Amino acid sequence: MDELLLIASIALLAAGQVLQKRGAVRHLAAGRGVRHWLRALSSPEIGGAIACLALGTTAWLAVLYRMDVSKAFPILSAGSILVLAASRFLLGEHVSARRWGGALLIAIGVALVAAS
Amino acid sequence: MSGGTRGVALAALAASIVLSAAGQLGMKLGMRELHAIGGAHVAAADWAAAVPAASWTGLGLASYVASLLAWLLVLARYPLSYAYPLLGLSYVLVYVCATRWPVFGESATPLRTFGTLLVVAGVVLVSTTRADRTGGASPH
Repeated sequence: MDELLLIASIALLAAGQVLQKRGAVRHLAAGRGVRHWLRALSSPEIGGAIACLALGTTAWLAVLYRMDVSKAFPILSAGSILVLAASRFLLGEHVSARRWGGALLIAIGVALVAAS
Repeated sequence: MSGGTRGVALAALAASIVLSAAGQLGMKLGMRELHAIGGAHVAAADWAAAVPAASWTGLGLASYVASLLAWLLVLARYPLSYAYPLLGLSYVLVYVCATRWPVFGESATPLRTFGTLLVVAGVVLVSTTRADRTGGASPH
Protein backbone atom coordinates (compact mmCIF):
# COMPACT_ATOMS: atom_id res chain seq x y z
CA MET A 1 0.00 0.00 0.00
CA ASP A 2 2.79 2.42 0.97
CA GLU A 3 4.74 1.51 -2.15
CA LEU A 4 1.66 1.81 -4.35
CA LEU A 5 0.84 5.29 -3.04
CA LEU A 6 4.45 6.37 -3.45
CA ILE A 7 4.62 5.09 -7.03
CA ALA A 8 1.26 6.71 -7.87
CA SER A 9 2.44 10.01 -6.41
CA ILE A 10 5.75 9.95 -8.32
CA ALA A 11 4.06 9.00 -11.60
CA LEU A 12 1.28 11.60 -11.27
CA LEU A 13 3.65 14.44 -10.40
CA ALA A 14 5.97 13.50 -13.28
CA ALA A 15 3.02 13.24 -15.70
CA GLY A 16 1.94 16.71 -14.55
CA GLN A 17 5.34 18.10 -15.57
CA VAL A 18 5.25 16.47 -19.01
CA LEU A 19 1.68 17.67 -19.65
CA GLN A 20 2.62 21.23 -18.61
CA LYS A 21 5.47 21.18 -21.11
CA ARG A 22 3.20 19.81 -23.85
CA GLY A 23 0.57 22.43 -23.11
CA ALA A 24 3.10 25.27 -23.06
CA VAL A 25 4.66 24.17 -26.34
CA ARG A 26 1.36 23.61 -28.13
CA HIS A 27 -0.50 26.67 -26.96
CA LEU A 28 2.05 29.30 -25.93
CA ALA A 29 4.62 28.84 -28.70
CA ALA A 30 2.56 30.92 -31.13
CA GLY A 31 2.35 33.89 -28.79
CA ARG A 32 1.92 34.89 -25.18
CA GLY A 33 -1.02 37.26 -25.34
CA VAL A 34 -4.09 36.90 -23.14
CA ARG A 35 -5.83 34.90 -25.88
CA HIS A 36 -3.00 32.34 -25.96
CA TRP A 37 -2.91 32.04 -22.18
CA LEU A 38 -6.68 31.45 -22.06
CA ARG A 39 -6.41 28.81 -24.75
CA ALA A 40 -3.52 27.15 -22.91
CA LEU A 41 -5.32 27.16 -19.56
CA SER A 42 -8.46 25.63 -21.07
CA SER A 43 -6.54 22.97 -23.04
CA PRO A 44 -6.72 19.27 -22.18
CA GLU A 45 -2.95 19.29 -21.58
CA ILE A 46 -2.98 21.99 -18.90
CA GLY A 47 -6.27 20.70 -17.44
CA GLY A 48 -4.70 17.24 -17.26
CA ALA A 49 -1.55 18.71 -15.73
CA ILE A 50 -3.54 20.44 -12.98
CA ALA A 51 -5.49 17.22 -12.29
CA CYS A 52 -2.26 15.19 -12.14
CA LEU A 53 -0.61 17.69 -9.79
CA ALA A 54 -3.67 17.81 -7.49
CA LEU A 55 -4.02 14.01 -7.37
CA GLY A 56 -0.24 13.55 -7.04
CA THR A 57 -0.07 15.97 -4.11
CA THR A 58 -3.00 14.22 -2.40
CA ALA A 59 -1.27 10.87 -2.83
CA TRP A 60 1.93 12.47 -1.51
CA LEU A 61 0.14 13.58 1.70
CA ALA A 62 -1.07 9.99 2.11
CA VAL A 63 2.55 8.84 1.70
CA LEU A 64 3.74 11.29 4.37
CA TYR A 65 0.97 10.00 6.66
CA ARG A 66 2.58 6.55 6.55
CA MET A 67 6.27 7.07 5.91
CA ASP A 68 9.29 9.06 7.21
CA VAL A 69 9.80 12.21 5.15
CA SER A 70 13.58 11.54 5.30
CA LYS A 71 12.82 8.34 3.38
CA ALA A 72 9.97 9.42 1.11
CA PHE A 73 11.38 12.75 -0.14
CA PRO A 74 14.64 11.38 -1.64
CA ILE A 75 12.58 8.64 -3.33
CA LEU A 76 10.36 11.32 -4.90
CA SER A 77 13.39 12.31 -7.01
CA ALA A 78 12.74 9.17 -9.08
CA GLY A 79 10.17 11.38 -10.81
CA SER A 80 12.98 13.27 -12.51
CA ILE A 81 14.08 10.00 -14.18
CA LEU A 82 10.53 9.58 -15.52
CA VAL A 83 10.52 13.19 -16.75
CA LEU A 84 13.91 12.64 -18.44
CA ALA A 85 12.70 9.47 -20.16
CA ALA A 86 9.47 11.19 -21.24
CA SER A 87 11.48 14.17 -22.57
CA ARG A 88 13.44 11.77 -24.74
CA PHE A 89 10.78 9.29 -25.85
CA LEU A 90 7.52 11.30 -25.78
CA LEU A 91 8.70 14.85 -26.46
CA GLY A 92 11.66 13.88 -28.68
CA GLU A 93 14.18 16.07 -26.85
CA HIS A 94 17.91 15.38 -26.95
CA VAL A 95 19.19 14.00 -23.63
CA SER A 96 22.96 14.10 -23.06
CA ALA A 97 25.06 11.27 -21.63
CA ARG A 98 25.75 13.53 -18.65
CA ARG A 99 22.03 13.66 -17.84
CA TRP A 100 21.58 9.88 -18.22
CA GLY A 101 24.55 9.52 -15.85
CA GLY A 102 22.76 11.76 -13.36
CA ALA A 103 19.59 9.68 -13.77
CA LEU A 104 21.61 6.54 -12.98
CA LEU A 105 23.00 8.13 -9.79
CA ILE A 106 19.46 9.11 -8.77
CA ALA A 107 18.23 5.56 -9.45
CA ILE A 108 20.98 4.03 -7.29
CA GLY A 109 20.37 6.62 -4.55
CA VAL A 110 16.62 5.96 -4.59
CA ALA A 111 17.20 2.19 -4.42
CA LEU A 112 19.48 2.60 -1.39
CA VAL A 113 17.02 4.91 0.40
CA ALA A 114 14.13 2.55 -0.42
CA ALA A 115 16.10 -0.36 1.05
CA SER A 116 16.91 1.60 4.22
CA MET B 1 22.35 42.53 -13.90
CA SER B 2 22.57 45.38 -11.40
CA GLY B 3 23.49 44.84 -7.78
CA GLY B 4 19.87 45.35 -6.72
CA THR B 5 18.28 42.83 -9.05
CA ARG B 6 21.02 40.33 -8.30
CA GLY B 7 20.20 40.68 -4.62
CA VAL B 8 16.51 40.06 -5.35
CA ALA B 9 17.28 37.03 -7.50
CA LEU B 10 19.61 35.55 -4.89
CA ALA B 11 17.00 36.10 -2.19
CA ALA B 12 14.39 34.44 -4.42
CA LEU B 13 16.71 31.47 -4.99
CA ALA B 14 17.36 31.06 -1.27
CA ALA B 15 13.63 31.49 -0.56
CA SER B 16 12.72 28.88 -3.15
CA ILE B 17 15.09 26.29 -1.64
CA VAL B 18 14.09 26.98 1.96
CA LEU B 19 10.33 27.22 1.23
CA SER B 20 10.41 23.99 -0.74
CA ALA B 21 12.02 22.17 2.20
CA ALA B 22 9.71 23.91 4.69
CA GLY B 23 6.73 22.81 2.60
CA GLN B 24 7.73 19.14 2.86
CA LEU B 25 8.41 19.44 6.59
CA GLY B 26 5.11 21.28 7.19
CA MET B 27 3.11 18.66 5.30
CA LYS B 28 4.90 15.93 7.25
CA LEU B 29 4.11 17.62 10.58
CA GLY B 30 0.47 17.94 9.53
CA MET B 31 0.30 14.24 8.67
CA ARG B 32 2.00 13.38 11.98
CA GLU B 33 -0.66 15.34 13.85
CA LEU B 34 -3.38 13.61 11.84
CA HIS B 35 -1.82 10.25 12.62
CA ALA B 36 -1.71 11.15 16.31
CA ILE B 37 -5.40 12.06 16.61
CA GLY B 38 -6.47 9.01 14.62
CA GLY B 39 -9.86 8.51 13.03
CA ALA B 40 -11.96 8.62 16.20
CA HIS B 41 -12.10 12.41 16.53
CA VAL B 42 -12.93 12.85 12.89
CA ALA B 43 -15.78 10.33 13.18
CA ALA B 44 -17.10 12.24 16.21
CA ALA B 45 -16.90 15.48 14.20
CA ASP B 46 -14.52 16.85 16.84
CA TRP B 47 -13.00 19.29 14.41
CA ALA B 48 -11.09 21.21 17.09
CA ALA B 49 -8.83 18.19 17.46
CA ALA B 50 -7.96 18.40 13.77
CA VAL B 51 -6.88 22.06 13.88
CA PRO B 52 -3.12 21.42 14.40
CA ALA B 53 -3.07 18.83 11.60
CA ALA B 54 -4.96 21.09 9.21
CA SER B 55 -2.82 24.12 10.13
CA TRP B 56 0.52 22.40 9.55
CA THR B 57 -0.69 20.81 6.34
CA GLY B 58 -2.06 24.15 5.11
CA LEU B 59 1.19 25.93 6.02
CA GLY B 60 3.17 23.20 4.27
CA LEU B 61 1.09 23.45 1.10
CA ALA B 62 1.25 27.27 1.17
CA SER B 63 5.00 27.13 1.62
CA TYR B 64 5.25 24.71 -1.31
CA VAL B 65 3.21 27.00 -3.57
CA ALA B 66 5.28 30.01 -2.42
CA SER B 67 8.46 28.11 -3.34
CA LEU B 68 7.11 27.64 -6.87
CA LEU B 69 6.38 31.37 -7.16
CA ALA B 70 9.86 32.26 -5.86
CA TRP B 71 11.22 29.79 -8.40
CA LEU B 72 9.50 31.68 -11.22
CA LEU B 73 11.29 34.86 -10.05
CA VAL B 74 14.58 32.93 -10.11
CA LEU B 75 13.96 31.63 -13.63
CA ALA B 76 13.24 35.13 -14.87
CA ARG B 77 16.81 36.12 -13.93
CA TYR B 78 19.07 33.07 -13.93
CA PRO B 79 19.61 30.40 -16.57
CA LEU B 80 18.05 27.12 -15.50
CA SER B 81 21.43 25.37 -15.58
CA TYR B 82 22.76 27.74 -12.95
CA ALA B 83 19.79 27.78 -10.60
CA TYR B 84 18.29 24.30 -10.84
CA PRO B 85 21.20 22.27 -9.37
CA LEU B 86 20.89 24.33 -6.21
CA LEU B 87 17.39 22.90 -5.72
CA GLY B 88 19.22 19.69 -4.81
CA LEU B 89 19.97 21.49 -1.55
CA SER B 90 16.33 21.11 -0.52
CA TYR B 91 16.92 17.33 -0.26
CA VAL B 92 19.76 18.01 2.17
CA LEU B 93 17.68 20.49 4.18
CA VAL B 94 14.68 18.14 4.49
CA TYR B 95 16.90 15.23 5.44
CA VAL B 96 18.90 17.13 8.07
CA CYS B 97 15.85 18.81 9.62
CA ALA B 98 13.73 15.63 9.69
CA THR B 99 16.48 13.57 11.33
CA ARG B 100 17.78 16.27 13.69
CA TRP B 101 14.57 17.80 15.03
CA PRO B 102 13.09 15.50 17.66
CA VAL B 103 9.54 16.61 16.70
CA PHE B 104 9.83 14.48 13.53
CA GLY B 105 11.08 11.42 15.38
CA GLU B 106 13.16 10.21 12.43
CA SER B 107 16.74 9.02 12.53
CA ALA B 108 19.51 9.04 9.95
CA THR B 109 20.95 5.70 8.89
CA PRO B 110 24.21 5.36 6.92
CA LEU B 111 22.38 3.75 3.99
CA ARG B 112 19.71 6.44 3.83
CA THR B 113 22.29 9.23 4.18
CA PHE B 114 24.47 7.79 1.40
CA GLY B 115 21.44 7.24 -0.83
CA THR B 116 20.28 10.82 -0.31
CA LEU B 117 23.75 12.16 -1.18
CA LEU B 118 23.72 10.11 -4.41
CA VAL B 119 20.30 11.59 -5.24
CA VAL B 120 21.65 15.12 -4.70
CA ALA B 121 24.67 14.39 -6.94
CA GLY B 122 22.33 12.93 -9.57
CA VAL B 123 20.02 15.96 -9.46
CA VAL B 124 23.03 18.26 -9.97
CA LEU B 125 24.25 16.19 -12.96
CA VAL B 126 20.79 15.97 -14.55
CA SER B 127 20.16 19.68 -14.22
CA THR B 128 23.47 21.16 -15.33
CA THR B 129 23.84 21.83 -19.02
CA ARG B 130 27.57 21.94 -19.64
CA ALA B 131 28.35 20.65 -23.13
CA ASP B 132 24.65 20.21 -23.73
CA ARG B 133 23.52 22.82 -26.21
CA THR B 134 19.87 21.90 -26.38
CA GLY B 135 19.38 21.02 -22.74
CA GLY B 136 17.49 23.03 -20.20
CA ALA B 137 14.99 25.75 -20.70
CA SER B 138 16.14 29.27 -21.30
CA PRO B 139 14.29 31.80 -19.19
CA HIS B 140 12.88 33.49 -22.28
